[in-house]
Amino acid sequence: MSEITLQGLEKQYGETTAVEDVSVEINDGELLCLLGPSGSGKSTTLRMIAGLETPTEGAIRIGGEDVTEQPAYDRHTSTVFQDWALFPHKSVLENVAFGLKMRGVSEDERHERAETMLERVQMGSYDDEDPTNLSGGQKQRVALARSLAVNPDVLLLDEPLSNLDKRLREDMQIELREIHEDVEETFVHVTHDQDEAFTLADRIGIMDGGQLIQVGDPDEIYENPKNRFIEGFLGDTNFVEGTVESANPDLVTVESELDDTLTIPAGEDHEVAEGTPLELSLRPEILSIDRLASDAEGTASEADEEHEPMLADGSVLNTVTGTVDTVLYRGSTVRYSVSVGDSSVFVERTDTTEESLSVGDEIRIEWNGSDVLAFHTDGTRVGI
Amino acid sequence: MAETNTDTGLVGSVGTALPTRSDLAELSSSRKALLLMAPLLAFEALIFVVPFFILLRISVTEGSSDHVYEPGTWSLESYAVVFNSGLLHDIILYSFLLGAIVTVLSVLIGLFYAYAIWRSSGIVKSLLLLSVVMPLLTTLVIRTYAFNPLLSPTGTFNDVLLSAGLLSEPIQFVPATAGAVAGQLYIVLPYAVLAIYSVLATMDWGIVEAARDLGASRPRSFVEVVLPQVIPGIIVAAVISFAWSVGAYAAPDLLSNGITFAVHAEDLMIGDMRYSLAAALSVVMLVLMLVSVTAITLVLNRFGGDFDLA
Repeated sequence: MSEITLQGLEKQYGETTAVEDVSVEINDGELLCLLGPSGSGKSTTLRMIAGLETPTEGAIRIGGEDVTEQPAYDRHTSTVFQDWALFPHKSVLENVAFGLKMRGVSEDERHERAETMLERVQMGSYDDEDPTNLSGGQKQRVALARSLAVNPDVLLLDEPLSNLDKRLREDMQIELREIHEDVEETFVHVTHDQDEAFTLADRIGIMDGGQLIQVGDPDEIYENPKNRFIEGFLGDTNFVEGTVESANPDLVTVESELDDTLTIPAGEDHEVAEGTPLELSLRPEILSIDRLASDAEGTASEADEEHEPMLADGSVLNTVTGTVDTVLYRGSTVRYSVSVGDSSVFVERTDTTEESLSVGDEIRIEWNGSDVLAFHTDGTRVGI
Repeated sequence: MAETNTDTGLVGSVGTALPTRSDLAELSSSRKALLLMAPLLAFEALIFVVPFFILLRISVTEGSSDHVYEPGTWSLESYAVVFNSGLLHDIILYSFLLGAIVTVLSVLIGLFYAYAIWRSSGIVKSLLLLSVVMPLLTTLVIRTYAFNPLLSPTGTFNDVLLSAGLLSEPIQFVPATAGAVAGQLYIVLPYAVLAIYSVLATMDWGIVEAARDLGASRPRSFVEVVLPQVIPGIIVAAVISFAWSVGAYAAPDLLSNGITFAVHAEDLMIGDMRYSLAAALSVVMLVLMLVSVTAITLVLNRFGGDFDLA
């Protein structure tokens, strides 16, 4: 059993607090991604699990054993470092065999096991190579083999893919996922790349400012972010400011900077009062767009807007109109920046074969009010 | 090729002596390097190579009763003296002994001191580096001679040991070999520290962490990862310390009764006026030094790869 428990973990460097009160249970065999911007304390947390930093406060248990005071070399953890930290004076094979050498495994046996590991990461023919001659991707594989060779209870990965180019990084993510399923060990993976976290993780822990803000399944975190920071960090979104105009038990209307009153269906015990300033998140994937028809039909559609229709399933259709400002081709998607009232929102179309919109086109943007997430001005989520 | 270049070659040799900018650009990089090194090579030739051949020539002349040596004569008698004199053998042995002790101490202390500089940061690092360089600002003779009042039986060091009750009687550090070792160590240590630190400074602390992460204890990670990589710096430190200490003059002269070859060579020249013997002794020492420095380099280089303790 090698589940990890972090309890009230704290790390201070002089006056600065790098990690503050981090508590989490990491399950045996799980792949947990610590996701956060640089300086959020995720690497420091990882280094404390590895034993490379001593926590100022709190406790670390691995497999039930308190290892808080244990030095790195006594822990059954193994780290893949961001710059891989291969030993430049040792061959690839000796690098991978190093951990086994430290454990007193005989030369023949450790070389044999190192070779097996190198084959596992498709580096079988590089035994005698000098690690300084390898490419980034190859170094990354050797570093992974070196860490796995000691058969650790816990594998710690400190942004090992961040120095690789995009294509290689995506390949390695898949491979890492396969290796994780293969070796059935607990992995803790630190990254600042949300795509990487979503590709790899069983669960994601979001860190910001030294704190672990939310831990959960990837879809849970994406669908139900705890605060505005997470909502903004996990993907591009439109934040729209507004003030609550009316707060009925089943419906909240918001006077927004989009020159329109937006409507959000609400649960009975929602905590919103009239006059509360809010920020609404309109993700591009909930917005559907349509070119406004010619003048005659245009009048008709504007008439539609007068009453936000409540649909049968309790959702509410919101509609605004705007003018396309810029068109940005991003390969598989096209992104349009649309000015709506005094503000602007961006929308995306994934189907690039659809009739394309061009600058100056009048369009209608629609979304289901229940897909909108609302946040207080201090960033906390509004329960609606 | 030769034909086509004949014209320009002629113009070049007949024309101006100073190369123009375009001439410089056409030079191959090795010729450029040679040109850049020219002042140093000229200096070395004038100050070292030519005098060395004069020394070599003097070493194979006959001794003389009314001159320092007999110019124009040829004789190997001085070498015969060097090879047969028990006194000279003792002096040579003492020189090498002093050199060996100082070298071992300076590499060991230098290694730990350099490691301390490497691992420190901020003001501590600056202070540690500064205190390496500071002694170099004082004249060698003065900072060597300063060991006399420090180490003499009535000196500061003995006073402290006596008053602390660690000694019942003062120890005669000077004039003695201990004093010479201390004085010579103080001369070479800054160079040893800087030689080793310059290599350590290029190393990534991350690989030491990686070693610890993979189960290497602190001393083990030092031996497995730091030491093999710092060998080039250790070689430089050892060669500087050894060559300088075997040929030490000031420290043994001022702080010890033991006579090193440098001190003795001076006695032979200034006191006994035996230039050819002094020259022969110097040539023999030079050869012995070259052999031992080569041996040090070769032996240390063998550890430059993977230490195998398992």
